[in-house]
Formats: sequence, structure tokens, C-alpha cells
Amino acid sequence: MSIDENDRKQNQYHFDRHTPDYRHNFEAITEEMHAACPLAWSDTYGGHWVAAGAQEVFELARSAEYLSNDHDVNNERRGYKGITIPSPEDMKFQGGFLEMDPPEQRHYRQALNPYLSPAAVARWTPVVTELVRACLNEKIESGEIDFVDDLANVVPAILTLAMMGIPMEHWSIYVEPVHAAVYTPPDSPDMARVRDSQIEMYQDMLGQLAAIRENPKPGLIDALARATINGKTPPDMELIGVMALIIGGGFDTTTALTAHALEWLGEHPDQRERLSRERATLLDPATEEFLRFYTPAPGDGRTISADCEIVGTKFKEGERLWLSWAMANRDPALFENPHEVDLARTGNRHHSFGLGIHRCIGSNVARMVFKQMLTAVLDRMPGYQCDPAGAVHYETIGVIQGMQHLPATFTPGPRIGPGLEETIEAMQKVCDEQRLAEPVTARKAQAEVG
Amino acid sequence: MKVRVDPERCQGHTLCAMIAPKVFELDDIDGHSSPVSEDVPVDQQAQVREAVRSCPEQAISISEDPA
Repeated sequence: MSIDENDRKQNQYHFDRHTPDYRHNFEAITEEMHAACPLAWSDTYGGHWVAAGAQEVFELARSAEYLSNDHDVNNERRGYKGITIPSPEDMKFQGGFLEMDPPEQRHYRQALNPYLSPAAVARWTPVVTELVRACLNEKIESGEIDFVDDLANVVPAILTLAMMGIPMEHWSIYVEPVHAAVYTPPDSPDMARVRDSQIEMYQDMLGQLAAIRENPKPGLIDALARATINGKTPPDMELIGVMALIIGGGFDTTTALTAHALEWLGEHPDQRERLSRERATLLDPATEEFLRFYTPAPGDGRTISADCEIVGTKFKEGERLWLSWAMANRDPALFENPHEVDLARTGNRHHSFGLGIHRCIGSNVARMVFKQMLTAVLDRMPGYQCDPAGAVHYETIGVIQGMQHLPATFTPGPRIGPGLEETIEAMQKVCDEQRLAEPVTARKAQAEVG
Repeated sequence: MKVRVDPERCQGHTLCAMIAPKVFELDDIDGHSSPVSEDVPVDQQAQVREAVRSCPEQAISISEDPA
């Protein structure tokens, strides 16, 4: 390296978030980076910057004029690699508008916001209550549940499909490939099976897009099928990328948050009892605190789009940057006792939905579904005990800080109303008859499920 | 106390409306926040200060009334 390069990259840290070591030593690594190099150059994955400090992440994430999310899969622009570091080799399409820059990114969000705003999401709450009730019914008499497989993996998937305009009963085609693709290591013997299930899912997505084009029905896919993006009708592959983003964002993230929160509450029964009792005031801050502490999506990659100086560091065009929401969320400069869960924490301006123009478009969905699942468990399985021996965390937390299994036992209780299959059928009818998946501009009232 | 939400900075995180629902209203279409009124009632000032501290984009500013 030249003298200038040495000077620019004087804070060096070997950062590899894809190793199990990073998960096991997350707090120590985070503390080390905050103390020594809140913005560091790492030699991993072809070399890239890593922002770990809250101030550094804040300033960088909001410098949209110098950052690009673009994933130039066909090498038509500047060859940028999108938001994943390292970038997958064989991507045929961008990761939706999260791998685009304005104006295209803005046009997509404008098309989809009316389906995902707080007012739009609130319409679905009674449907989610029903789906959660039905999931718990399947297990309530047995005294045993896997909070991931039987609840947290199911409800977000069904709701996401319903909002898109895909039949809810298709959830079983979608849920496993999305979940397994995140936790299965690329060299696993199971990867071939995961890939097969992904192919089936993508075929269903293409079929849904074609069917909705042919016979329009309300939902996010309809919005995409009719969208004009920067004056053009986007090609199908681009829309498949957007659908995959909605599915990837809608499924495993909320699953991860819910599983971790239920695990922590199981380990802290006094806090669980307090949260249940004081939920009128505590549920909102507790939700934000679980979001901060467990940061389901731990970060995002960017590409520097022009030479610039931000937070005292000179960046060169084309350099890669990892914005660690998860590490920024543990910065003692911003959060008192950052490694502790404080259900009543104030001033909790966490980074878990990202910052700036790419703020998670599904954040309102995530919060609502999480709260519904959590409170239903507190009501119907108040004394549940998780089985630590059966709990499986993702081996690595480079993509999603998630859980594969969280088995628990509890005092059996009575079923309330029908089971999952019957409820899905009933909710599909509600969704279709009341045109729930319309944008909020066309339909404002909450669903009537009774 | 007067409150302002910078519309260029606000990205619709909605924390302000969670904390001080009487002061901030969210746009139906994109969830971006704006104050119901520039003037903050005395009984809402504590919540508004907490909203300022909680805004991930630091989009909310307040000015205290001259004493």
C-alpha cells in the first residue's frame, strides 16, 4: 500500500461475520471495535470497510449521495455488487429495490408504501390475531410447542403472502426454502434439497405474477405488475427480485425476533410476568428493545459511489462498506448498559430497520405481527419453559441472527375456535371478499373477521 | 415548546407516534410523521423530549419557549 493508502486505512480489523466465531464472540468483538476502531478496514472478502460505531453508522448510512446499493448483475453500469459482502457469484437478478438506487428505488417504494404504511398494516391486525390463535390451537392441548416451527415461522409467512396476493395456503411452498436458505451452509449436503425447494418457490412466484397480470387481484404483486419505474415497465426478472425481497424481508426476520424474545423471556420469568402485566405501557418499548438487542438483520453492504470524506475518513469510489446495525446497536456511546435487555429502555434509537432512504419497508408489519404472537403466547402459555438442549441458533449470524428451533413445554390449555387449516381458509375468504390487500388509498377499514 | 419534524430526514420509523401519539400523526400512505400542531401542550412535553431522543434519523427538533 502507498503511504496515502496506509494513512486512509490505518484502523485495520480482520472482520469476518460469516464465521461461528463472530457469533460466539459477538460482544467481545463489538467492544473491541468500538474502543479501537469504530470504522475499520478489513482485509476479508476482497477488502472492505466496516462501520461498527453508532455515530459512524449513522453518518455513513445517511450519506446517500456517496453510497450506492446498486447490484449491477448484468454489468451494465459500474459493476457494483449490492448489499451482500461477499456478493453471491451467480445472481441473475437484483435483490429488489434494496439493491437499487434512486430514482428507481424511490419509484418502487412509492408503489408499495400504500400497502405497508402503519394505517395499511393496521387493517390486517384481526386476521393476524386469528392466525396466531389457530397456530397455538394446534399445540395448546399437548403442552409442547416449537416456537419457531409451530408459530414464528408460520404467521409472518402466511401474512406476507396474503399481502402480496398469493393464496395463503401456499405458505408451505415458501416457508421452508426461505428459512433453510438462510441457515444451511453452502457446503452442506442438504443444500441440494434446499435448492430444489427454492426452484419450486420461484416457479410459484413466476406463476403468481403471470396469473395476477392475467386476472388482476389486489396486493403487492398487482402493484408491481402495474408499476412504471423511471418511465419504464420493469422486466419480469426484476419484479421477481422485488418479490423475493418482500418474501425474504417478511419471513425470517420476524421469525428471528420472535424466537429470540420468547427465549429471553423464558429465561427471565419475572420479566415475562412484568411484561404481561404491564403490557399497556411496556409492550412498545420492549418490542424496540428486542429489536435493538437481537437485530434480526445484522447489517447491510454498500458501495462508495464517489470519492468522499465522511466521519473523518477518506473513501474511494468503488470501495465496499459494511454497515453493522447489530454492532451500532451495542454502542455504549448511545446505549447505557448496551449488552443488557431493559424492557423499559428510553431513548432507544436503534438501527434494526436500517437508516436513511432504505429503512425497512416492512417495519410496521414486523412490529404488529411480533406483538400479536408474543401477547398470545403470554396469554395462553404464560408459564412456558424453553428446552435449552433443543434450542438451535443459526450457526452464523452474517445474514440473519435467527433460530432454527425453540422447543418449549407448558401447562396444556383448551383450544379456542378452529385449527390452522380451517382458519387459513376462513381468512382467505375475508381477504378476498373484503379486498384487504388493496392499498390503503382504496380501502381504509380494518378487517372484519367475526 | 415548539416541535418540528424535518420531512427530508424522516423515514417513517414511527417511534415518535408510538411515544407521543397526541403530538405526532403519521401519513396514511408512507407513515412519515408530522406534528399535529407546532405548539406542544405542557402535558405532552416529556413525551416529545423522549420522541426526540428516540428518533433513529434525528429528524425531530424542539425549541423551548422563552422564559
